[in-house]
Amino acid sequence: MQRRDLVKLAAAAVLATSLATPALAQGRDKVILMLNWYTYSEHAPFYLGKDKGFFDAEGIDLDIQEGRGSAVTVQAVAAGSATFGYADVPTMIKAAAKGAPVKAVGVALQTSAMSVMGFSDKNIKTPKDIVGKTVAMTPGDSMSQIWPLFLKKTGLQETQFKTVSGDAQTKLNAVINGQADLLLGYVMDQNIKLQDATHKPVTPIRFADYGVNMISSGIIASKDTLATKADMVKRFMRAATRSLEEAEKNPEAAVAATLKAQPKSGQPDTMLTGLKLTTALYHTDETKSLRPFRVSMKTVNESLDLLVQYGGMDPATRGKPEDWVTLDYLP
Amino acid sequence: MRTQRLLTSPGLRPFWLVLMLIVLWDLLIRLFKIPPYLIPNPLSVAKQLVAEWPMLLRETLPTLYATLGGFALSALIGVPIAMWIAYSRVVESFVYPLLVFSQSVPKVAIAPLFVVWFGFGIVPKVIAAFLLGFFPVVVATVQGFKSVEGDVIDLARSMGANPFKIFLKFRLPHALPSIFSGLKVSVTLAVVGAVVGEFVGSNSGLGYVLQKANGTFDLPLMFAALVILSMIGVLLFLVLELIERWLMPWHASQRHDLAATA
Repeated sequence: MQRRDLVKLAAAAVLATSLATPALAQGRDKVILMLNWYTYSEHAPFYLGKDKGFFDAEGIDLDIQEGRGSAVTVQAVAAGSATFGYADVPTMIKAAAKGAPVKAVGVALQTSAMSVMGFSDKNIKTPKDIVGKTVAMTPGDSMSQIWPLFLKKTGLQETQFKTVSGDAQTKLNAVINGQADLLLGYVMDQNIKLQDATHKPVTPIRFADYGVNMISSGIIASKDTLATKADMVKRFMRAATRSLEEAEKNPEAAVAATLKAQPKSGQPDTMLTGLKLTTALYHTDETKSLRPFRVSMKTVNESLDLLVQYGGMDPATRGKPEDWVTLDYLP
Repeated sequence: MRTQRLLTSPGLRPFWLVLMLIVLWDLLIRLFKIPPYLIPNPLSVAKQLVAEWPMLLRETLPTLYATLGGFALSALIGVPIAMWIAYSRVVESFVYPLLVFSQSVPKVAIAPLFVVWFGFGIVPKVIAAFLLGFFPVVVATVQGFKSVEGDVIDLARSMGANPFKIFLKFRLPHALPSIFSGLKVSVTLAVVGAVVGEFVGSNSGLGYVLQKANGTFDLPLMFAALVILSMIGVLLFLVLELIERWLMPWHASQRHDLAATA
């Protein structure tokens, strides 16, 4: 008799909790943020914001998903598989120009993180040093597309160096194993991965230092979400803005939160270096006094020019900066 | 009458099916309003195929070489190993499990290492094609050689045939159909292997085109490259089938024309 009562009680308890959970979650928005790649330093602010409860405070139940390239993230957001995407905004613009119903609601990296980098012991410090070397790149990605402009600005010729092509991992492997001297990569990404793998210092030559600047990662959403859930987008961007600000102030905590959520995503010290390199790109001179994500439309306009000239964008679809980026949802 | 026969001739049947599938593809896109950045429509793919034809043809060659190289290795290494396994129980118990084990290793995961070990040339692609194409050859060949009935061999031996003659007159002809079915599976997989190799690290080839088209959201070009890849697979398959017919006109699978007239 007693045992049966116990079973009943347990069943009732299970039923009660299963009923209660959705009730508790009511009024909260389940949001999926899909990153552009597997977790690395650049993504630390979002893990920090989640850990600190910034998203909770806005009634947002945040689920951070790792990605496999900006293009895939953009497609996932366009198809509605993810609510928001953290992706390369120029890549998003190219997809949107081909009809993907997506828009950027804030640009995090307003200065280009693109660079060509090699181990410091190779003594490649200026573009001139690239002559006679081998450069590894990934065909079709944003850096290989803008590379010709870097060559033009620095007076280098395609014939003065050798090129090898491969996917993201091959690029790193090629430099680590000496099959290539340099690779095209982001200062806070490949730079750190090379150092983690070899414990050797890396010297990046930044594209931005030679007048090649393009906006980079930002938050993207589908036009449908923007139209039907404007309030939720505003709350999400408020929490995201706080997350970036907090990561600027307290990068150590951001790294700790990231490693807590994704223990295999890196080493604490190099991840901290990577995050500091990331937050340095949050503002241009023009947006120095503004909160994060508030990109200047002039900067976006310049990036559009580059997309038409080098990114294979059809001039007929170029449009205005406001067609691709909106700041209406920012705090 | 003649046109009707032409329409229903066996050689043309697959083309009608392909045509129907293309119409279905176009229809589904229109019906469900699938946007072109997710799936392009057939017309845009055809346009891209024509517009980029010289480039695509140029990039087809490296992929074709890697496929043929990988396939040749699969056949040259796979068949002897399979014969060895079929003839010796000891070898079978040692080698066969290992082969199955090696086949279960995902090639995509280790392909980046091939570039590290063998560089950016054609070698890593040939190896990737070989690794994918090798296994079906071995499995089919082992099965072929084992399916020879013992009584037949006993009879041959009782009539004084030496082992070499038994092999040439009985075992090999008996195994050929299986070997060829293995080779046909292998050649289509070799195409996949070559592209896997090119995806990971390459300056040319259709895998390189695919990667580049993906980065610029040029889905029509991507599908055009996929069409060519499939065509390579189909053509190589047909070539093998012709060789098969020529080598064993006596086999039951080749007798369908006879059956049709009977």
